[in-house]
Amino acid sequence: MTDPLATTSAPPALEAVTITKVFPGVVANDAVDLVLRRGEVHALLGENGAGKSTIASVLTGLYRPDGGELRRDGEPLTLRSPRDGLERGIGIVHQHFRLVPRFTVAENVALGDNRLPWRWRRSVVADAVQQLSERYRLPVDPDAVVGDLSVGEQQRVEIVKALYRGADVLLLDEPTAVLTPQEADALFDTVRAMAADDKAVVFISHKLREVMAVSDQVTVMRDGAVVGSLAAAETDPAQLAELMVGRQVDLSARRAARPAGHPVLTVERVDLDAVDGRGALRGIDLTVHAGEILGVAGVAGNGQRELAETVAGLRAPTRGRIHVHHRDVTGTGPAATRVAGLGYVPEDRLGTGLAPGLSVADNLRLTREQPLWLDRKGATESATATIRDFDVRTTGPGAAVSTMSGGNAQKVLLARELDTRDGAVTALVVASPTRGLDVGATEFVRELLDQRRSEGCGILLISEDLDEVRALSDRIVVLSEGRIVLERDAADVDVTELGLAMLGHGADAPGGAA
Amino acid sequence: MNDSVLVLTLAGAVITGTPIALAALGALLGERSGVLNLGIEGIMLVGAVTALLGTQATGQPVIGLVIGALAGAVLASLHGFLSVTMRANQIVSGLALVIFGTGVAIFLGQPIEGQALVPGRRLGGTPIPLLADLPAIGRILFQQDLVVYGSWLLIVAAAFYLARTRTGLAVRAVGESPATADAAGIRVALIRYTHVAVGGALAGIGGAYITVRGAPWDQAATTGGRGWIAIALVVFASWRPIRALAGAYLFGIALRANFALQAADVRIVPPQFLTMLPYLLTIAVLIVLSATDARGRLGAPAALGRPYVRDER
Amino acid sequence: MIRGWQLEPRPRPGPGVLLAVPVLSVLAALVVGAIFLSAIGLAPLAVYREILRVSYTTGYGIADTLVAAAALILTGLAAGVAFRFKLYNIGGEGQLYVGAIAAAGAALWLGEGVPAAVAVPLVIAAGAVGGAIWVVIPALARAYLRTSEIITSLLLNYVALALMQYLIFGADTPWRDPNSPTFPRGAPIPDAAVFPRWGTTRVHLGLLVAIVAAVVIAVVISRTRWGFQWRVFGDSPEAARYAGISSRQVIVVVLLISGALAGLAGAGEVAGRAGRLDPNGLVLNLGYNGIIVAALARYNPLAVIPVGVLVGGILNAGPALQSLPGQNVPVAISTTLTGAILIFALAGELFVRYRATRRPEAPAPGDEPVAVGATSDGGTP
Repeated sequence: MTDPLATTSAPPALEAVTITKVFPGVVANDAVDLVLRRGEVHALLGENGAGKSTIASVLTGLYRPDGGELRRDGEPLTLRSPRDGLERGIGIVHQHFRLVPRFTVAENVALGDNRLPWRWRRSVVADAVQQLSERYRLPVDPDAVVGDLSVGEQQRVEIVKALYRGADVLLLDEPTAVLTPQEADALFDTVRAMAADDKAVVFISHKLREVMAVSDQVTVMRDGAVVGSLAAAETDPAQLAELMVGRQVDLSARRAARPAGHPVLTVERVDLDAVDGRGALRGIDLTVHAGEILGVAGVAGNGQRELAETVAGLRAPTRGRIHVHHRDVTGTGPAATRVAGLGYVPEDRLGTGLAPGLSVADNLRLTREQPLWLDRKGATESATATIRDFDVRTTGPGAAVSTMSGGNAQKVLLARELDTRDGAVTALVVASPTRGLDVGATEFVRELLDQRRSEGCGILLISEDLDEVRALSDRIVVLSEGRIVLERDAADVDVTELGLAMLGHGADAPGGAA
Repeated sequence: MNDSVLVLTLAGAVITGTPIALAALGALLGERSGVLNLGIEGIMLVGAVTALLGTQATGQPVIGLVIGALAGAVLASLHGFLSVTMRANQIVSGLALVIFGTGVAIFLGQPIEGQALVPGRRLGGTPIPLLADLPAIGRILFQQDLVVYGSWLLIVAAAFYLARTRTGLAVRAVGESPATADAAGIRVALIRYTHVAVGGALAGIGGAYITVRGAPWDQAATTGGRGWIAIALVVFASWRPIRALAGAYLFGIALRANFALQAADVRIVPPQFLTMLPYLLTIAVLIVLSATDARGRLGAPAALGRPYVRDER
Repeated sequence: MIRGWQLEPRPRPGPGVLLAVPVLSVLAALVVGAIFLSAIGLAPLAVYREILRVSYTTGYGIADTLVAAAALILTGLAAGVAFRFKLYNIGGEGQLYVGAIAAAGAALWLGEGVPAAVAVPLVIAAGAVGGAIWVVIPALARAYLRTSEIITSLLLNYVALALMQYLIFGADTPWRDPNSPTFPRGAPIPDAAVFPRWGTTRVHLGLLVAIVAAVVIAVVISRTRWGFQWRVFGDSPEAARYAGISSRQVIVVVLLISGALAGLAGAGEVAGRAGRLDPNGLVLNLGYNGIIVAALARYNPLAVIPVGVLVGGILNAGPALQSLPGQNVPVAISTTLTGAILIFALAGELFVRYRATRRPEAPAPGDEPVAVGATSDGGTP
């Protein structure tokens, strides 16, 4: 591997030399080389499942490599745990935050800091947080309880935490996945500020636009191996895309081929009162027509889950009506709503959409009306057919879903909820259907949704990933603090406008969407 | 000043409540680190019988208490091993501890069934100078023994430890979100083991205190479900030590009032119904508490009862 | 974790490991018991030979074992059907008492002159209803207020014990034998209400009831809509909610069935074994030991049957050994053994759910990088 910056005299802050990590059945990292320099933003680019998170875990001490070595400032480095990593100045901000929701920001920051006296003082930590927050443009309140913060704020806490612990190598794992475009831009400023302060920053992403916007150096991974490492200034998105995917993948935007038909799902002036002061919906008006996908964008925690569950009948709205295919299903519960023709793919696959300990066959009939005596033979036969039709990789209809990969579990869930064989399902609520899936599975899911759309299904797509919403929807609405604050045709949507609306600066009056 | 029945009952309530307070503190420490130990009753039984045997052998009630603490720690470590290392179902593991502990206690106690320490070898009172002379309060609180005073110190120390120290912060993090604690470099298993073991020692002292104060060994009656009340008390106390102490004394009063009424020969209510009272009271309080709590977790540590497995994949 | 090894989830445990864990648990518990016995100067092997003899090899012993097993299978089912769906009813002991009280009450109320074909089914039903009633409060509180059923069901055991003591020792109640004023005991139930026995042995109808109950529960769980809903709820309450299954209904129904099964055991103790409400005869802690039976059977209703027989024999051996001349074996050896068996079985459960595999050792600092698979011996340092 050629090192484009080999002329620089100082040894790199952190270096991975032919790192190999094997999990049962998978080589997650295959002789990965990575050179991280001070003052540099190094993007680690690759599809989900390319091995980015694995190498990040090796670099931070969570995983011990099966082969190869790490070098810190040129010296060999052995990390036995994340604590070792932290002590050697290597920090990471995970995609799923490692924060204690019930703790304050200061408590979260102080956690695990052995430099503090045993009887630590909150004010000392709070002052340090304040300083870091100003220096790197990361506004956080040290006394706020983390569970009350927005996703963007929690991410800032995570970064402050790493900086407070003295990290001068900082890895950010898919940091923009849950942010609005504006929040992402603010994060880029922070990233640049950290690099300017001579820190080595690793920006892990599968989004080309961001990588080009923020990084100095780009390393591309595919199938567990590094396929190229280039200076950002000397490459372009097309080259990176080819390296990253290695084949043609159509993840471009899809739109309905035909104009939308009659309404299949209508939500009229729905209010939902909050539980514990969270998750209220106010004046939601939505109409999904046959043959269209209506995307709901928004920052996590603005009522997405409540909207999905209210439409699917899991929660009864405080006010308003919900119709599926002209039938009033308000307050009739999930079973009746389903009978009326609504399928629901929840965001949480294992645990909500699927019962992980139960078999594929049992899961495929989870939401079907069961006779008093179960038809075990029929269930097995039908499951065998589904496994074949959807190319589900499993040992058979009797295998527990928990033993399957995320993509295959999602196939089981989609096969059940999108089953239009009996013509029953005419409307769908789909929440973050491709989160955490690799590129192949993502492609499969998008194709399936597109196919159902063209068959005349009306789909309500709810996702915190703006790219996903934009890639699939015909129309987009923005949900902010439980209200619809914007509605636009997907074809002529303005990203800045969307982002502002997601942050609550909507252009439309509440309830203005139709 | 003549001690009224009320004062004597309250002083007795402190003695009756102290084992509950110690056991509750023990359960609380484990639970704050995320390990539910339902084995407290079994640990108390073993603590009671080993302390009685130890005191009989050495003539020193303090040695009896230490033996009870050690036995409790050993038994609780077994639960720690099952629930932390072997990732067993903590509820079943705790029950196994109750059954095993009961078996061991009866086994060891067979030669001394029905016996109590002779008065000279019991743990005696240590009045605190000046304070002991206060009217009523002095008799109730300051003419007690070293374990009672020690339990106050322990409770206050535990409250301070959890709220204000670095290790306490780590313990709470392990109970709330072990993955977060692990990522922050805290040794989750170590914290859980130590707190379950220390919690077991406290429950062991709780059991030991009962026999060392002079109660006879009788497997059915020595602890009489006080270990279970202690576990319920942790819920009432919202996992806070000082509230647990207050709750333990309330139960002490309920149990003592029972004795007082029986002693006063109140015949309106059969004694068996008075026996039921503390248990029914506990159930009623639990139900009322959950009725007033919308989230239904009453402030329990979020990871309570869940084994932690570092996500290796 | 031992270095050099890692745990991998097993998709489906094979029959080998499923059988090995309980067998090894029993053996390991015997070793622990041997240590305790040696400590008090008894010869463990001789004691174990006696246990085998008094519980499993003589006709009288086997009959006694089966009498205990009848109750343990039912309390084991009671615990198993609840625990399997993550509903922790640990009030089996109290539910058994109240089932016994109800069964005795029904039998005494019916009196003489009712044909056995009527009296026996009524006594059985009364036991089931009594047990179910004793779990109503924990069940409703859990279903509607999310009060943990663990502590409420357990504390009711103490209340049930006090209630039973009141009925026999406390006052002149219909349950108390009027012909024995100085030594309080339960009134004998009418002959028509007594369970038929098998030949001249003490094995009674309760064993058949227990086996039928086990089969019925097994079929309901695996073959019916109700069982399907319970399984979904037990695996993931969120998935149940999503599927439109009423969690409240599952909680209440499962707990009531659990209580009823424990109550059936109580009916067997009254109408099958003792012929009266007999607080002193309930020394085997059948309710608590049902939890052991259930856990050893891994909450599988059919496996509860053989496990119930095994544990029944061990528990029976305690009192039986007591009565042996010259031996003075502590009666608690049985409880110690069953508790230890459960502890070892819980530890072994890890190997049912996971498989230990060798992991390639990470290179020590300064070592040459090693290729995958070509590791050193991988042993523990």
